[in-house]
Amino acid sequence: MNDTVLAVRDVTKVFDEGRQHVHVLRGITMDVAAGELVALEGPSGSGKTTLLSIMGCILTPTSGELHVAGRPVRSRDEAALRDVRRQSIGFIFQQYNLFPALTALENVEYSLNVRGLGGRAAHDEAKRVLARVGLGDRLDFLPRDLSGGQKQRVAIARALAGAPPVLLADEPTANLDTATGGQILDLFQDLAKGEGRGVLVVTHDPKVRRIADRVVGIRDGRLVDADQEKAAA
Amino acid sequence: MVSLARKNLLHDRLRFVITVAGVAFAVTLVLVQVGLFMGLLDKSTVTIRHASAELWITSRNTPNVDFARTFPETAVLRARSVPGVARADNLIVAFMTIQLPNGAAEGALVYALEDFGAWNLPWSVAEGSPLDLKRGYALLMDRSAALRYGPFATGEQREILGRRFRIVGTTQEAASFTTTPIVFMDYRNAQELQEQLRGNTTYVLVKLSPGADARAVQAELRRRLPYNDVLTRDEWARQSRDYWVKSTGLGMSMGVTVFLGILVGIVIVAQTLYTSAVEHIKEFGTVKAIGGSNLAIYRILGEQALVAAVIGFALGAFFSYLARPLMAAIHLNVLLSPGFSAVVFAGTVLMCLGAALFSFRRVAGIDPALVFRT
Repeated sequence: MNDTVLAVRDVTKVFDEGRQHVHVLRGITMDVAAGELVALEGPSGSGKTTLLSIMGCILTPTSGELHVAGRPVRSRDEAALRDVRRQSIGFIFQQYNLFPALTALENVEYSLNVRGLGGRAAHDEAKRVLARVGLGDRLDFLPRDLSGGQKQRVAIARALAGAPPVLLADEPTANLDTATGGQILDLFQDLAKGEGRGVLVVTHDPKVRRIADRVVGIRDGRLVDADQEKAAA
Repeated sequence: MVSLARKNLLHDRLRFVITVAGVAFAVTLVLVQVGLFMGLLDKSTVTIRHASAELWITSRNTPNVDFARTFPETAVLRARSVPGVARADNLIVAFMTIQLPNGAAEGALVYALEDFGAWNLPWSVAEGSPLDLKRGYALLMDRSAALRYGPFATGEQREILGRRFRIVGTTQEAASFTTTPIVFMDYRNAQELQEQLRGNTTYVLVKLSPGADARAVQAELRRRLPYNDVLTRDEWARQSRDYWVKSTGLGMSMGVTVFLGILVGIVIVAQTLYTSAVEHIKEFGTVKAIGGSNLAIYRILGEQALVAAVIGFALGAFFSYLARPLMAAIHLNVLLSPGFSAVVFAGTVLMCLGAALFSFRRVAGIDPALVFRT
């Protein structure tokens, strides 16, 4: 797994709901390599968000192995998982999840503060990544004053801050119009190919399929052939 | 470092204003109420503190300086014979009725001495002189009396217990705990007014010789006057204060007021912080998802509580200090010391941080996975 930045091996996840055991993931094995953009497709309730949460060290699997940035993640301790998230993973959400009271610059800078970088260094790095996503002229804008595409760019900049090797995106184009969604996907492609990050995008958007290096389907907690999955959908 | 706490506070200005107003209200309530109480308590010992007597001889179990009881005035002779006593004089303190020009009757607290000048009583004379009290039926009336008796002027006459007295001057700051104005008159005149005062006194004031041991003199006076109490100035002041605080329920009433003030503050701060925490729950989920800990979120809530405490206290203290001259205009003394203000500030910080604890419980269980929910 030399250039593999994210890997799960035979991962299962069972939620206990009262006396019932709900098997959400049933032995998932997959990799994301550095510089690779992987699309994960599946209908609602198929387990893709649970898989994303496990890969993002937000949830722990019931069984199986997780490797992030070449290192096994065995601990179930919240502090250890937090460290992995801080150092190695950038998240991009469908609803952007920006802090409404912070400007674009502060949103990114705050994320760096949480990752342990402060002062001038955080300020300069936040400016750099915002310029990288094409928002160098929107630094002092509050999220309410930005368009949907610009908000998603701020969210991407926030995920990029601290240079994590893994980017996990949950339906990043779902709230964007076609043109803006296309620009965001170009950016994802650039982040994978140009910067060598491993990018996993959970999506229903057919445009993602066109730019992805690989498309992985998930249904009822199992990986399936993506084309078969698409046909079923 | 970016302060999400302060940015969020300022972003939602209305909530911030409500929070700060709640804290300011609680602080003002506590400062003014307790300040008024302290001011009243200050009045309860005002004559003890200003009189130059180091020891006070009282009748047995006199609860406070205003509620004086009589004992034979010859006790003063025994006091004067004790080694270490430089001077001892009788002092009469008695409630009497004063007739007002409009026909109404009011209470007056009479202080009567043979030689006022020797005892620094009255301590603040605005008009006239205590020496004039020796000239027939004369009295000095405190200016605060205008509130109870209506306007008066030097040269006018007032009737006390059927005897006409001429007002020969005015004093300041001489009002009792019960707000009854203090009237100064000659010792013999006071004795003439009330049957029970004839041959009796209510206190003996004692001044010590230079270098005398106060405790030793006090012990000897107690031995020679076994039916009296002999108290130092501090003991007597404390006893007078304690009477009003403990025996009248005023202390309890003040405690309830302070408790209510704190309760109002806690409820408002807890309510607004909690609502804010609930509304920002997804933001806190994001903080956790990007690597922030519960401690990071507690810090945000704690900082918000602290900012509310500092600004709320500053405003509350400002209003309280502003209220002082207004209250003084109606002869109400709001006593605010820096020490007491510091205690209230510390209490405000603790109150706000305590209120934030309610929100801590709510955010402690945030699942960062909620960031994936739409």
